[in-house]
Order: sequence, then structure tokens, then C-alpha cells
Amino acid sequence: MRKITVLLLSLCLAAPTLFGGGYQVHLHNMRNIGMGLIGTSLSYDASSLFYNPGGTPFLEKKWNFSGGVNFLMSRVTFQPVNGTEQAHLTHELNTPLYFYAAFKPTENLSVGLAINTPYGNGLSWGDTWQGRYLIQDISFKAFTFQPTVSYKFKNIIGIGVGLVYAYGDVNMNKAIPLQGANGDGKLNITGTTGNFGFNAGVMVHPVKGLSLGLDYRSKIEMKVEGGDATFTVPQSLSSSFPNNKVDVMLPLPANLDFGASYEFGKNKQWMVGLNLCYVFWDTYDSLVFNFQTTTSAVGRTAQPTLYMNKLVPRIGAQYRMNDMFTFRIGGYFDQSPVEDDYLNPQTPSLDQIGLTCGFSVFPAKGLSIDGSFLYITGKERSGTYSPDNFAGTYKNAVFIPGIGLTYSF
Amino acid sequence: MKKLLVIMVSLAFLTACEPKIDEFAASPNGVDFSTFVAVGNSLTAGYADGALYLSGQQSSIPNIMAAQFKYVGGGEFRQPLIGTEDGVGFQQIPGGIYCYPKMVMSIVSDKDCYGNPVGTASLKPALAFAPTDQDALKQQLFAPPTQVGPYNNMGVPGISLQQALIPGYGSSLGNPYYTRFATNPMATVIGDAAAQQPSFFMMWLGDNDALMSALAGTDAYLTPADTFAKYYPITVGALLQSGKSPKGVVATIPDVTSIPFFTTISQKLPYNGAVLTAGQADSLNMLYHLYGHPDIVWHAGQNPFVYVKTDGTWAQMTAGDLFLLTMPTDSIKCRGMGIADPVKLSPYPIPGKFVLDADEQAHIKSAVSSYNTVIKNVASANNLALADMNEYLTHFISGMVFDGVKMNTTFVTGGMFSTDGVHLNPRGCSVAANFMIQAINAQYGCTIPQADITKYPGLVFP
Repeated sequence: MRKITVLLLSLCLAAPTLFGGGYQVHLHNMRNIGMGLIGTSLSYDASSLFYNPGGTPFLEKKWNFSGGVNFLMSRVTFQPVNGTEQAHLTHELNTPLYFYAAFKPTENLSVGLAINTPYGNGLSWGDTWQGRYLIQDISFKAFTFQPTVSYKFKNIIGIGVGLVYAYGDVNMNKAIPLQGANGDGKLNITGTTGNFGFNAGVMVHPVKGLSLGLDYRSKIEMKVEGGDATFTVPQSLSSSFPNNKVDVMLPLPANLDFGASYEFGKNKQWMVGLNLCYVFWDTYDSLVFNFQTTTSAVGRTAQPTLYMNKLVPRIGAQYRMNDMFTFRIGGYFDQSPVEDDYLNPQTPSLDQIGLTCGFSVFPAKGLSIDGSFLYITGKERSGTYSPDNFAGTYKNAVFIPGIGLTYSF
Repeated sequence: MKKLLVIMVSLAFLTACEPKIDEFAASPNGVDFSTFVAVGNSLTAGYADGALYLSGQQSSIPNIMAAQFKYVGGGEFRQPLIGTEDGVGFQQIPGGIYCYPKMVMSIVSDKDCYGNPVGTASLKPALAFAPTDQDALKQQLFAPPTQVGPYNNMGVPGISLQQALIPGYGSSLGNPYYTRFATNPMATVIGDAAAQQPSFFMMWLGDNDALMSALAGTDAYLTPADTFAKYYPITVGALLQSGKSPKGVVATIPDVTSIPFFTTISQKLPYNGAVLTAGQADSLNMLYHLYGHPDIVWHAGQNPFVYVKTDGTWAQMTAGDLFLLTMPTDSIKCRGMGIADPVKLSPYPIPGKFVLDADEQAHIKSAVSSYNTVIKNVASANNLALADMNEYLTHFISGMVFDGVKMNTTFVTGGMFSTDGVHLNPRGCSVAANFMIQAINAQYGCTIPQADITKYPGLVFP
């Protein structure tokens, strides 16, 4: 048992990785993952606190809980444009978690708490590869805690708003091209930060079977103030590279999601739906490191990133076979927000297609075991991070099984 | 639960297979790289940090190229390796040569004008050790290379274009760097290279036809443009007619005045750095008058230093004149060099060998430009690849970046030159090798992969 606890703990501490939409992670509820990540117009369980808090009052039961974990395996291959040595991301198992609890004190009112990991990035290229002066490894994750209140009017329209607190930590290593007797110099940056945002949504049921949803999750400015910057350089240069405090700013972009879904068939056995998710990536135009102790060699550096806003279409379907089994399927197309001139091994962002399927088993009243499976294939992409003149071709494959529980009473 | 977890995880490992990208498609496009011979000077030999040493040779430009040629049918590349990592450099002195080891970045304690330490220290290049044992250094210099020949790398530090054709250049009266590996005392560098019947060659000669003069702070030893125009085609022709109708790459000569050896001190010490009071200026005017130089006039405030021109006359420096890296700045600070010797009470002009003045620079630039015209014409007439190193070097004045490594021509911090301020460090050599490869790929339509510059170190700091 202790072993399992240790294993689970270490899995939880690993950073989630998903390269498609920059550093956004989409693994928020097993049922939604199973049907192409749609959710803005759905209120099947407490995960609507995240997908659209306007949908939570439509839940039938008074108490609703949902929790789960994904097992994220990602692989990236890099081929330098003029070189012979391919690089592979070292394999890490990442395990983003989610947990939702919603309570309905009255028929029309709901309150709840959502905890999940909507943003994160974690990769390790190793410390000998060709791009090590850009990045060796990075782990960044942002957990959000979202207390939420929602209200519905006459079973037709629901509105909800949540206060989002994001807690993030970052740890990155890169080599510095200054050699000593032990090879390259090195820079490690670690830090933590937290900040607030909000999540507001509205859901409408205009006619029987049809549901429409609109949800806006605000941008959250994540500013690490006074993170630790540790330089490892030859002794004779140490006065130029003092160990240091650093401010790092990384914005978590806003999202505007629209969803539509339709239930039909005998006992509404079938559901089909689509989401259009607009991500305001353009807020991320550079990654700034501001070192507090400046020298001729250390100061403010800004890595241009120049992300562009992107629309991500998603579709999904659900089939309730009987009281025991439900099956789901879906897919989406996630366009990279990164231009070819700024394709960076820190976040090797590719256009990618996600294919999903999932199931729920209902072993007891109110309880379901939910499984999902997401396969992401990135389109091979060549680009240059032009500020560093680092060019090559990237390709990835991501494979994410997940398991969760839903309980309501 | 535990079982499920294990199943999930192992399933994940099995299914998420490595994404496949096509490997680099290397192709010689019909060019035969099996016997690659390089002819050139110190830049070809792998000389750096003021000496010839083992790891410098291993990071020589043609050796890096040869490693990349392996992907397109390249063969073995033998170099006349020296058996010392400390290296041997030398200069001619009356009756022989004076040897010293390579320079390394060192922490040197600062001293005042009387030679006493002042308690601070500076990071700067210094000899790896004091060259007291001259015999040991000479023995290493003249010892046979640790690898047997014939040598694909025929680079000889110090060689000029014409010297590549001179019999006896490898004799005991010639250049020790060739003597140590010439096939016989009367051999020529070009002859030894041609005898290997290269299938592909690199020739980067001509640098020393301008550089040797510049390093002496003069324009007096420039190879005349018509001499260069006469011998360059003969040299290339000897390789072209060596038997296997080789293809090859030639390179232009960089404008030597933009390398750190000529730019570093001038960035810190202005040409008019002699700051005087009115009283000092009056005294100096009297002193210079007394010594027969009434034309040199001193004023209160900033004054240009005085130096000896190549023709022996004295003049005040002008904006754009360059100090050489070898200039003893202590003499300026402590002994009145450039103004007057406070002890002897006599004028003390800066010796001409430490100043490359604007006129000399103009003559050198003009000579380099005419050499490069010849090189380009010969390359184009013989369908040879041309690496325009002169053009590339101009990009490094403002700086270039490769794989996140920023490089420019600044001494030490620029990341590309070695501690002598003239030759490239290994990382700089890998960048130069890639320029050669790009030129070859462009000329012959082949696809030779480029070297990973991050695999080669820059300066090593203590």
C-alpha cells in the first residue's frame, strides 16, 4: 500500500504535457475526453463547473462528484535541419488530475468547487542535445481552484460564475555556452506563483433535446516574482553570473468556448455535439526573464514567442446502450498557435488531430466508472526558432488513457 | 486498482511508439570525397591560442569537414598530429627560434607600475607555462607527427601563397611547421598535396600574404597583387592536374583588420588618450621641438598619441588607427609611451609594430580585395566551390547566432576566436567548416550534413 502511495504521489508531481495548443492541457473529465473534449453545452456531471458553470444547476442530483486521472505518454522526435543526429524527448509519464464537487441546496441553485490542471508543460530533451542552449528540460504546471455559484431559470437558462485561483510552479534548465573544465555552464530557474481569474458561462435549453452553451475563462497573469536563478559557470566568470532572483511572466490565455449538442432517440439514448473553442493566445508574445541582480552578462531577456489566436473545433457523440453501459467517441483539430519562425523546442507546438473514445460503466446506482482514451498525432512540422537560429523538424505522438469516477446522489 | 494502473501504464508504453521522421538524406551527387586533401595555412592546420596543439588540430576546419564527408563517401583523414596538448608556438629570433606553449584563459594578478601586486586579478589569456625549457619545446616541435602520413591536412601555419610552391620550405632552413612533416627536405607543400591525388580538395591560401604584414603593424610586406594573380592559378592548377580531376572548394581571404587582434585594444584605449594639463602640454612642445619635431603640437586636454610610421617618421595618431593586441599597454600607463619617457626626459613614440594606421589598413584592404577577385575568378573558371569567408566575417562584426550560441568578433566574449585573437577556437572552426560545406553543397548539388557546432567547445575558462 505504501508503495502505491509513493507511486501515486510521484505520478502526481510529474508535470502534464500536451503540445497541441501551446501549453494548454485539455484533460478535465473522463466522459468529456471520450467524446472529443466537448463539454460547453453539457451538464452530465460536476465537470460542468469547469466546462460551463451555467450548466451545473441542470444536474439532477443534489450531490455530484467527479474525479479522475490521466496517464499521459508523449513522445517527440526532432531532426535538425542540416544535421544527422535526431533527438528524442525522454519519456516521462505525466498524470494530470481533476476533481469536481457540486451541491444543489435548492432546485435552481448550485455551488461547487473545481480543481484541475488547465495549463502545463513538461519535457526533457537531456543535457547533451543540439538545442541545449535553448532548453534542456522544463516543467511548468498550473493547478486551478475554482469555487463556483450558478443559478438556473425555469429549466431553460442557466448562468454561473466561478472565481479561479491558479497556483503555478516552474522549473527549467538550460545550458549556457561558456565552457569550463567540466563543460557547459548551466542555468536553473525555479519559482512558484499564484493569481486570480474567473470562469463565467451560460447554458440555454431552447427546445427539447437541444442545448447551447457559451463559456469564457479569463486570462490569468502568472508572474513568478523572485524565483531562484542558479548559475553554474566557470569560477572565473562567477562574478558576472551571480546567483540571482528572477521575475518570470507567463500568461495563461483566455478561452471563449461555444458548444451545441442534441439528444435524441429512445430515452435520449444518443447525443451529438460540437464545440468551437477560441483561444486568445496572442497574449503570449514573449517570455520575459528579469534578473534582479544585473551584470554585464545578466539582465532582462525576452524570448519572442508571438503566439496567434486559434479556433479549435471539436465534435463528439455519446450512446447510452442501457443502464449499465455508455460509449463515446469524438475528435478535434488543434492548430498550433506558433508561427514557423518561432517554433521552439521549449514548446514544440504542432498542428494535431486528437481521436478519442470512452465508456462508462454503472455498477451501482449513482456511481459510474469512466474510462477514456485519447490519441494525438502531430503533423510533422519544420520550423526555426529564428531568434536563436535553431532549425529542424518535429513530430510527436501522444497517448493518453484515463480513468475516473462519477458519483451522485 | 494497482493491477489496473500497471496495465494502463504498460499499455501506454507499448502503444505510444516513437514518432518517425526521415533521417537526413546525405548525397554526394556524384562527387568523389574518398581522398580529401586540404591545403592552407594556420586556419587549415588547426593552429590556435598562439600554438599548434593536439586538440586544436583535431578541431581543424578540414578535419571537421572530413567527419561530415563520411556521410557522402569520405575516407580516412590523416593529420600531422603533434604529440602535445600544451602546444608549441615560436617566433624567429637572431640565430634561431624562440618557443612557447599555447595560451589559456588565466586569472592573472594585477600589478602596479613597479611590478607589485595591487590585490586584484584579471581574467585574460596567458601562456600555459613559462617557456624556460626551450629544448623540450623544440623537441616537441620537430618530433615526427604521432600519426603516419601521407597527410590529408597539408595546412602549414605561417605559409603564404608563394611559399606553397617553394622547394626547401620543409628543410631545416624552412618553416618548422612544415619541416616536421614534409616528405623530404626539398618537397613543396603543393607537391606533397598533389602526390596524394586528391579526389576532392580544399585550398585556403593567401591569408598570410596580407596578415603577416598586418601583424607586423605595417603594409610593407603585402604580396603585390600581380604576384598573387600569377601564383594563385598555378597553385590551384597543381591540385586540379594531380591526376583524378578533383573537385574542390577554395575560400576568400577575410579582411584581417576586423579580427580581435586589431580591434580589441582600440575599443578600450582611444587613439587620443593622452590627457594633459596646459603646463604639461607646454613642456612637451618644448621637448618635441628640442628633438626636432616641432610639427607635433600638444594641447591642454586630450591629445593623440605619437607613433612611428613604417617609413620611420613620427606622427600623431588619427581616428581609425588601430592598436595591435600585442601592444604593452603598461608602457602607456607607466612609462609614458606615446608621449614622453618621464625618466629619460625624451619623446617616446609608440613603436610602429604596435600600430596599424588608417593608411596601412586601406592598403591591406585593397590588397585583400584584389586577392579575393583573383580567388573568385579562379573558382568560377574551374567550377570550384567558393566559400566567401571575407563576406561571412563581415556578418560576425555585428554578430550571428547558431543553435542559441551568439558569436561575434569581440575578443574572448565573442565566442569564436581563440586566445590569440587571430585564429578560431574549435566552435569557430565548426562554423567555418559549415560555411565550406554550404559552399560545396551549393556548387555541386550534393547534400553533405553540417557539423553540430554545439559539439565543439569555445574558449575554456578556469
